[in-house]
Amino acid sequence: MGMSRTVLRQYIEGNNPITARPFIQEVVEALTLPLTEKEKHPTAAPRKPRRPRLLPAATAEDLYRQFVENGWTDGLPIVLPTEERVAEMLTGTDHVPDEIVGRMCVTTHQERLEYTVEKVAVIAVMAGARPEHFPVILALAESQEPSMPSSTTSWGRMMVVNGPIRNEIGMNYGTAALSPFNLANSVIGRAWTLMSINFGDARAGENFMASFGHNLNYNNMCCGENEELSVFEPFHVQKGFRPDESVVSLFRGWNMLNFGLGPAKEMAHVISTFGSMGTSITFVVDPLVAKNLRVEGFKTKQDACKWIVENSHVPAGHYWEGQMQSGFARGLAQQGIEPFATWAKLPNDALIAPRRSADDLNILVVGGETNPMWITTDFAYTRSVSVDKWRPKCGIRRDAKPLRMPEPVTCKDGACGIPEAALPTLPATATD
Amino acid sequence: MEQHGKLTVLDPHGQPSGIFGRRLDAQSKPGDILDPVAQPSGDLKPLSMAPRTGSLDGKTVYLVETGFAGSLEFMQELQDWFSEQMPSVKTVVRHKRGTMFTDDPELWMEMKSRGAHAAILGVGG
Repeated sequence: MGMSRTVLRQYIEGNNPITARPFIQEVVEALTLPLTEKEKHPTAAPRKPRRPRLLPAATAEDLYRQFVENGWTDGLPIVLPTEERVAEMLTGTDHVPDEIVGRMCVTTHQERLEYTVEKVAVIAVMAGARPEHFPVILALAESQEPSMPSSTTSWGRMMVVNGPIRNEIGMNYGTAALSPFNLANSVIGRAWTLMSINFGDARAGENFMASFGHNLNYNNMCCGENEELSVFEPFHVQKGFRPDESVVSLFRGWNMLNFGLGPAKEMAHVISTFGSMGTSITFVVDPLVAKNLRVEGFKTKQDACKWIVENSHVPAGHYWEGQMQSGFARGLAQQGIEPFATWAKLPNDALIAPRRSADDLNILVVGGETNPMWITTDFAYTRSVSVDKWRPKCGIRRDAKPLRMPEPVTCKDGACGIPEAALPTLPATATD
Repeated sequence: MEQHGKLTVLDPHGQPSGIFGRRLDAQSKPGDILDPVAQPSGDLKPLSMAPRTGSLDGKTVYLVETGFAGSLEFMQELQDWFSEQMPSVKTVVRHKRGTMFTDDPELWMEMKSRGAHAAILGVGG
């Protein structure tokens, strides 16, 4: 994109970098040379054989090497999925091991690999999870969304858990929720990527074509929403789930700006400034920011999102120079589809609002009230999946002595020093 | 199970399903994700390739840009190249409807009805 006609001509008249033959000659030959016998009478590609349940016995060291060298890991050490460990993981749900959970692929056109409850348990063991984490990991698998959809643009993803299970399994949604301190956050987020590698069949450079990849793929920003300190409705309730339901919600995008400070006006300013941001925006806000938004007069997350959308304008020229939006929108404008067709005719300095609906924005409340800051991402919400289907009837299967991170220092009065007079109309939270 | 210092572990890879993806339809938004449950399953049947033209002399070739940034300019340059180097070939530059990820069966039908002999689709640029 953005190449001169001279450079484009060099591509046309130059060599195909893969075959080293003249590009245009190959194109013309592909249109004119007679079909070969194989092309006239193609046969179906050989089907992949079904995989064995067990690998041949080997030493732990050799098995670990096999997992790494086969591309079955994220490059970090794994827990080998022995039968005993997988059987232990399966105690985390009542569902039978051979129940099919879903199918996944990191591309849109290749064969989707099918996986059962047992296969998901294998992944959970590899990630270092315990049975208490398994219902959330099964819900992720049920989504059938890979954490690493293949795109040369290098997707990043985020997963956020709502509901009672956050506390039952010790997820962190408070101080340093996005930092690597918490077992549940770490292993659940990692499991999503290990299943994307093994169920989505991701192979770098073969079917996973991200040019530089995305560091978020290691853990996918796995955390909970801080419903306890939020003055707003929890995200899963916004999406139609009951407050007492446990739900995992998934997001997808590219960009993340960690230093956000100031009122809604500044949030609108940030998303107007960065032309490379996608059309969807998800703000991850500290609970103090949520409270400040309430003080600004926004009764709901949706109210704040609507105001931000209506007040984040960019000059039309800036919009069309931004390849992120214009790459999608230019063709739509050429076809006369509104509002793109009108925007394409505007002078460069005319202001447009490229995010047209509050539905393009999301607000998630995460953090421990150490600073009223927010993170700006261009992540789009993709879907939510209920975890409760996967819970054992007898309750979450915990270790006799559950593994937990040290308790962070938390605000005990729920107001963190904001004067009571500044919060006159705080609503009852969904957890009340 | 451990025997003589050796472990037996489970295979982590998913099983082949015989279910393949397909393109989004033209009305899909750029961020949409396919629902794989709705994909057709069953035996895969190989499709034979379209017969080749033999020569492009006097033929009409559609140059279809798929919507990626830069692809229109690439196809326009390709059109210029044909004009200069293979002037007997008639070329038509067209934009595929929807986004770069969507199918456009209406355009394929239109090309056939208008006598297109061949098409070059691309994302280049």
